[in-house]
Amino acid sequence: MGKDTVISVEHVSKKYCKSLKRSMLYGAMDIGRNILGLSSKSDRLRKDEFWALNDVSFEVRKGETLGIIGPNGSGKTTLLKLLNGIFWPDKGKITIRGRVGALIELGAGFHPLLTGRENIYINAAILGMGKEEVDKQFDEIVKFADIGDFIDTPVKFYSSGMFVRLGFAVAMYSRPDILLVDEVLAVGDVQFQMKCFSRLKEFRERGNTIIIVTHDMGTIQKHTEKVILLERGLLSCIDIPRNALNQYLSLMSGGIRANQVMSKLRWGTENDSERVKTTKPPSNNTQEDLCPRRFNYNIFEFRYGSGYARIIDFQIVNNRGEEVTSVRSSEVILFRVKVKAYKFVEKPILGISVKTKDGIEIYGNNTLYADIDVPPLKEGKQLLVEYRIHFNLQSGDYFLSAGVAEMTPEGISPLDRRYDLVHITVLPSDKSFGLVNLATDIKVYTK
Amino acid sequence: MEEMITIYEPDNSLRKGYLSIFGQIFTELKQNRWLTYQLFKRDFLSAYKQSLLGVLWAIILPLVSIAIFIVLNRSGILNIGDIGVPYSIYALLGIAFWQFFSNGLVACSNSLVNAGPMILKINFSKKSLVIAAAAKAIVPFAIQIAMVCILFVGYGRTPSIMGFLIPIFLIPLVLFTLGLGFFTSLLNGVVRDIGNIISILLMFLMFFTPVLYAKPKIGFLVTVTKYNPLYYLVSAPRDLILKGSISEWQGFLIVCLIAVILFFVCLFGFHLTETRVAERI
Repeated sequence: MGKDTVISVEHVSKKYCKSLKRSMLYGAMDIGRNILGLSSKSDRLRKDEFWALNDVSFEVRKGETLGIIGPNGSGKTTLLKLLNGIFWPDKGKITIRGRVGALIELGAGFHPLLTGRENIYINAAILGMGKEEVDKQFDEIVKFADIGDFIDTPVKFYSSGMFVRLGFAVAMYSRPDILLVDEVLAVGDVQFQMKCFSRLKEFRERGNTIIIVTHDMGTIQKHTEKVILLERGLLSCIDIPRNALNQYLSLMSGGIRANQVMSKLRWGTENDSERVKTTKPPSNNTQEDLCPRRFNYNIFEFRYGSGYARIIDFQIVNNRGEEVTSVRSSEVILFRVKVKAYKFVEKPILGISVKTKDGIEIYGNNTLYADIDVPPLKEGKQLLVEYRIHFNLQSGDYFLSAGVAEMTPEGISPLDRRYDLVHITVLPSDKSFGLVNLATDIKVYTK
Repeated sequence: MEEMITIYEPDNSLRKGYLSIFGQIFTELKQNRWLTYQLFKRDFLSAYKQSLLGVLWAIILPLVSIAIFIVLNRSGILNIGDIGVPYSIYALLGIAFWQFFSNGLVACSNSLVNAGPMILKINFSKKSLVIAAAAKAIVPFAIQIAMVCILFVGYGRTPSIMGFLIPIFLIPLVLFTLGLGFFTSLLNGVVRDIGNIISILLMFLMFFTPVLYAKPKIGFLVTVTKYNPLYYLVSAPRDLILKGSISEWQGFLIVCLIAVILFFVCLFGFHLTETRVAERI
């Protein structure tokens, strides 16, 4: 364990039991063994058991914010519970340096009949605070929770917003070194969420560590430095947010893992970690795929799909017809994409999206939404699509993604999606601030 | 501040050896005194908040049982036996000690299950939860003792001066209750039938223990009473208040020893398995 490592997870596995009756039996057996001082032999599976987490290893350094993403049932919450010591790992070892606070559910442990005041003391005690600590911070907790006169009202009469605010306030003021957050911030209103995040930011700036489980891509992008993607109990990647999110998105929308598709089409056999960094164009197709030759091409693009139709070229052109790598804010650009079919595609759908360099999707559209008829594409034929985009964005770096999919009776099937295919820089044209350039005309009238 | 390092791995406790575990258990209990008190407060406040009669229920229920016994005795169905003091004092004292045990045990058995959602979301000492549950039994006990005092005044009698030693003589009863409570709370966490089984067993046990009647002199109940630890735990403090002395010292001391051993063994077992149980809650 390194010097500034605060959490070290080494080959950790956790199993659950599918059958309740068997779970009772196993529970009694495990307890019996533990009391008698025998090893619980937790490293092997019994009937009806499965690994909810399987051989997960990672480290978190002091001051880092780690995101955990993954589809439902991939083991995110189980991982948090293991880190918090609520469950024991069945295999492997977890080492934690410092006091851990958990926001697994806000207001867990609140008793509905008791008042806010009573619940603050009880909840604080459960979270490991001493009496003096609570006395000292009581006023601040109440102020942060913003519950005013309701402090002496039973919490069952609280609105759900007040309830979670109070829960968050108590947990934040328990001053942990490491905070585990499980999807809890989604419950409050926008104002409360902003307050929470600014509080979390302060917390991080003091050199503390945060681990966030969420389905909200924006949260991951804005607040984390490193992301773990879990997939059915396995750690499928640890990477910077943008790359991990791309992989997650492909997992969610494709339904099938990209590497499975790729191996089927014999597009080379890169292993997982390489694949995350870069998806090299297939060697037998280099001549057809002209994208890497373009100046704006992003070698870290992320690509997946069945490959029955492929994006083989693109071009970024400004309104004077020149090929460009940067545009001025609020300029219009033409994004041309060339698609070739390797099989008959009856109902093609073509689409794009624009992301910030943090991976936040700003805009997306496709021929289906725009209600544009795309003719069927015969095998070996090509198609050119031109997107005219008003680039009303502030200066900075942006990524354009392009995709081609097919409408089938079962739904939309991705043929070739190339996330972050194009890197484009927006140059400042006038002074303003924010995410987008709404090009405001300001007029002042004096009476 | 000292850096705290926590390690979680399978069979964690076993690696450290048995002796150091005892040290751990007691540091944990000491550190969590305030938590235990807060959990007790939570149970106590919430139990009586949405009720009109509140704590008075602690006195109403025993009075009903005593009334039933008086009726049974008068009609000759049941022979209470020779007790030498007004029956209501004898019975209420018996009930106070008995219920201290039975209420405590029921509360302990259900403590982990009732706190289930909390256990799955926050990591805290589950021992505090069990102890706080047992402590709930103090409230009705205190009220029943107060009622006994009123009865003493009403009958114009005075309890023995030795009655002031009661807190000491309660310790074995407390340890016995907690010891069993640690054990049953674990079992109930895994198999929910335990809660119901305990309620039924306690009902039977009450009738097999001379709580509302005197120690029988004939019949099979004599043997049952002789080997019933609860008889000694209930009758010793009662004798002390009524007579100023304990009639069966030897039996009481043996039961005290059993209670202490039971407590430590169960506390130890609880410590080794409390996290395992969390998975089954």
